[in-house]
Amino acid sequence: MDAVNTALFCLLVPLASAALILLFLRRAGGAAAALSTLAATAVAAAALDLAFSGARGHASWEWIRFGSFAISIGVRFDDLAALMLGIVGVVGLCVHVFSLGYMHEDPARPRYFGGLSIFMCSMIGIVLADNLFMMFMFWELVGFSSYFLISHWHERLSASDAAKKAFITNRVGDFGFMLGIILCYWKNGTVDLAELQAHAGAGHLVYSRAIPLLLFCGAVGKSAQLPLQVWLPDAMEGPTPVSALIHAATMVAAGIFMLCRIQVLMVPPALTVISWVGTLTAVYAALCAVTQRDIKKVLAYSTLSQLGYMVAAFGLGSSAAAMFHLTTHAFFKALLFLGSGAVIHACHHEQDIFRMGGLRTKIPVTFWTFTIGVAAIVGLPGLAGFFSKDAILVLAYGHSPAIFAVLALTAVLTAFYMLRLWKLVFLGAPRSEAAGHAHEGGITLTAPLLLLAALAVVGGYWAQVYPAGLRNVFAALPEAEGATHTIIFGTSLLVLILGAGSALAFYASGPEDTLETRAPAVFSFLTALRTSFDAAYDTYVAKVQQRVALALNFLDVIALGGGVIRGLCAGTVEMAGFWVRTLHTGRISTYVYWFLGGVAVLWAFAAGVL
Amino acid sequence: MSTLPLDPLLLAIATPLGLAALIALGLPKRLVTKLAYLGFGGPALCALWAWWNFAAAPKEGHGYAFLTRYPTGLDGFGVSLELGLNGLSLPLFVLAGLVGLAAGLYALQSTAERMKSYLLLLLVMQAGLMGTFASVDVFFFYFFHELALIPTFIMVGIWGGRDRTYAAMTMTIYLTAGAMLSLLGLIAIYVKSGATSFDLLTLRDTLAARPILEVTQQHIFGVLLFGFGVLVSLWPLHSWAPLGYGAAPSSAAMLHAGVLKKFGLYGLVQIALPLLPLGALHWDRRLALLAGVGNVLVIGFVTLAQRDLKQMVGYSSVMHMGYAFLGLAAGVTFGVGAVVMLMVAHGLSVALLFLLSTSVYHRTHTFNLEQMGGLAPAAPMLATLFLAATFASIGLPGFANFWGEVPIFVALWHFSPGLAAVAVSGTVISAVYGLRAVARVFFGPRSPGFSEVAAAHPPADLTWGEKVPALILVAALVFIGLWPRSLSAGIDAALAPAPAPLTAALAASR
Repeated sequence: MDAVNTALFCLLVPLASAALILLFLRRAGGAAAALSTLAATAVAAAALDLAFSGARGHASWEWIRFGSFAISIGVRFDDLAALMLGIVGVVGLCVHVFSLGYMHEDPARPRYFGGLSIFMCSMIGIVLADNLFMMFMFWELVGFSSYFLISHWHERLSASDAAKKAFITNRVGDFGFMLGIILCYWKNGTVDLAELQAHAGAGHLVYSRAIPLLLFCGAVGKSAQLPLQVWLPDAMEGPTPVSALIHAATMVAAGIFMLCRIQVLMVPPALTVISWVGTLTAVYAALCAVTQRDIKKVLAYSTLSQLGYMVAAFGLGSSAAAMFHLTTHAFFKALLFLGSGAVIHACHHEQDIFRMGGLRTKIPVTFWTFTIGVAAIVGLPGLAGFFSKDAILVLAYGHSPAIFAVLALTAVLTAFYMLRLWKLVFLGAPRSEAAGHAHEGGITLTAPLLLLAALAVVGGYWAQVYPAGLRNVFAALPEAEGATHTIIFGTSLLVLILGAGSALAFYASGPEDTLETRAPAVFSFLTALRTSFDAAYDTYVAKVQQRVALALNFLDVIALGGGVIRGLCAGTVEMAGFWVRTLHTGRISTYVYWFLGGVAVLWAFAAGVL
Repeated sequence: MSTLPLDPLLLAIATPLGLAALIALGLPKRLVTKLAYLGFGGPALCALWAWWNFAAAPKEGHGYAFLTRYPTGLDGFGVSLELGLNGLSLPLFVLAGLVGLAAGLYALQSTAERMKSYLLLLLVMQAGLMGTFASVDVFFFYFFHELALIPTFIMVGIWGGRDRTYAAMTMTIYLTAGAMLSLLGLIAIYVKSGATSFDLLTLRDTLAARPILEVTQQHIFGVLLFGFGVLVSLWPLHSWAPLGYGAAPSSAAMLHAGVLKKFGLYGLVQIALPLLPLGALHWDRRLALLAGVGNVLVIGFVTLAQRDLKQMVGYSSVMHMGYAFLGLAAGVTFGVGAVVMLMVAHGLSVALLFLLSTSVYHRTHTFNLEQMGGLAPAAPMLATLFLAATFASIGLPGFANFWGEVPIFVALWHFSPGLAAVAVSGTVISAVYGLRAVARVFFGPRSPGFSEVAAAHPPADLTWGEKVPALILVAALVFIGLWPRSLSAGIDAALAPAPAPLTAALAASR
């Protein structure tokens, strides 16, 4: 099979799996789980085969045409797509296998695994898309699968609300994305990625600030950047493996992937805006993470923060650095999320880290793999996160001291909140009955953790580990080997020691948040910071949107329906009726006069006088 | 020129009409409920036959296939029953067939009183709908519309829900006024064209050779725009729609909102735009403003305020008609093509939403969204289909509606970027009310009101009688969503020759 056919196979196998589950396996949980996992295995195998064989290709089919306007469906399988497909395949497989154990007791397993398959298909569609309309289509479908999976436990009001919020927030971002695509279409006559590239090569691409910034709106929604970040923490209402796959490793990274795809359209002012949005998101989310009690919410804010790093890296002009961090992050964040899933599973669905503790000895596999994940995210030299974060810091150092300072501060905070989490969950004594009786899950839970842990260790050595084709993506990295830039290396180490050390020293293994008891002012400031966006949006919805809606509804029903149309029309008819009634006097003589008048008019008309 | 012994287009009209006549003559009820499957299934089969054979069928003037002329005895007035389909009428003919079948099946499983009369009226409506879109003669195009319209009033008046008398009267007044205004416009075209026939092909040839004066075109187009506009609920002439649909029995709402309402848009696309291109240019800005600000933005917000599920669906259909008007106003060829696509997609999805809303009502005993909640565990199939219908109507790719909306947005930007932004913002508003309704009906815990109802009447999932019509509509939405060319190729071919004078005029005026 050539590359295009194999890529199409990756796209269609999960779709077939979802369709079969929907049509035939709605009540067969085990069969649905097996089918979906089998599909994910096939995708992973095909994706790795493509990545290692180096086969690439491009094909396109027209899907709909109205006159001069056509939308096509195509496969653009280059190195970037191969890398992304590989990530989606590997992490997807890990999450499917993990779900086999994690969701085993769930009565709605067919729905869950069907949703995972829909997601795999949609996500792969984004990866393969050769034009922006096609990307938008799968972009929306990814949003739908996210909605579908977040609302898996829809009996809970919070899950239902979170799903709705996620979809609507994404739609707000897609509002800009759609307009950006349309603007690009009218300015350049095409939204095909290869043709845009060719236009740029020939020097007649139309540049404008509006196109990249509008398209970036889509990334702001999907990758949860300020000010649309509010949906991602709430999205943790979904099952934990979903959080690992969709809300950490792949879907939320689609925004960064999309930016890399449209890099040719970028202009410097747009890049400046993008880099600052990413930087501010990184530090804002890191500050929010410090006060969280829920293990998944800490990881959610940390995801936001790391996505901010990637967006900032792209804004600073290096899509290689952004993609590198996306790759390593996919491994260690999926590992951390699945690890948190294993912890939650072990503690019988306890998610409050202040009610855990002492899990180091109870669940050793989870502990050690989670520790590797923490070491990777805080940038311990030698692990994956160290290399990719360093590349971004070098980049920032070279371009903008202000961004560098903020990102370095974010790194301190990252080390701080991650070590806080690690200490509270695994060290000390168990602080609840559930934590005391914790026990390790089966092989389906531990095997994915081990695989992802291995990737989190070696994922940074891109020049040695990755196949030749994928190395091309990273060829333009600002710092190829890591640790060669002394100032940056020193900063990284300092940052790590500062953040990790203070967290380990500061937090006591108790049922209370040490920050809340020791520094209540700081704690409430951070809490207010975290809730400010939600509060503002809630105010808008309740005070503005709802009132406008009610007022317009009133006007529509009362003023327009009842007053203007009825009043005017019915009034006119009534008046006419009143006037005509006065003609009916009931006296013969009146009618005779009317008759004579009529005859006169008719005669005049017939004689041509009128 | 069909090779079949019977003309399927005629069959599609005659089957339901004949059955209706038999019922009126006193066919026993036992036979009626059996034969009704034929009455509703026949047109659907004919429509599918036409869809399947259209691409390969030989085309006559202006891309019409299956043309047949039947003498009516009125030829002296230039009126004859001429049936045929082109790329613009085929999608609507298919829509009428499918929604008619779904509405008929849904009616057959319902527990409506006086079932025979109910089916009689539905069959007349169905015959009228098939006839409207198959007619090449403008006179019969209008005649069949009236044939379908009048049963709607009676059905709302007799089988309607809350406020049915008031709703029926309002609907009658608005829609009759709109229909008379459009009749006036159609007659004006006939008179001013100097043609001696109501035949659309003759009219097009005559007017292509000798167009009507520009100022006259403007007046006639204005009359048609507002006449048809009332029928399609153009803001601010829409008040009948939420009221009427709120009260209408489900099958009548499905047929009216799904199919009959498209008559006005179809008239604009098939008759007014090609015959009066200069008149259209005169009105496009005003139409776009009314539709964009009125239908999309104002009605979008009004929809957000609705607490009644059926009213909400009614308002949302008013809102989505705004997109169709915007596509018309945008004038670029692909905007108009997308309007036809959207008409079909919206027809299928709104019929599905009305059907499912009624099924929800049978389980919750209320349309009030505040008194529902948590229905999904008891009725998973209903929840799945409702979710599909909602996502179809808010334009998720994979459903037909996406292919209507996106080209309209693209065309609209060329016309006015500001209005394009307004239209795209409508997709956010739609998502808000659509998903809110899904959450209120199906997710979360049960409201106290619904808990009481559920205790007395434990809710069950969809019966086969409810499921089959819904699945027909979902299947059509998905099929067109995955394979839009099945309709768009014909639409594109039908529009390709028309815009030549239009684009020339466009180029001259901008």
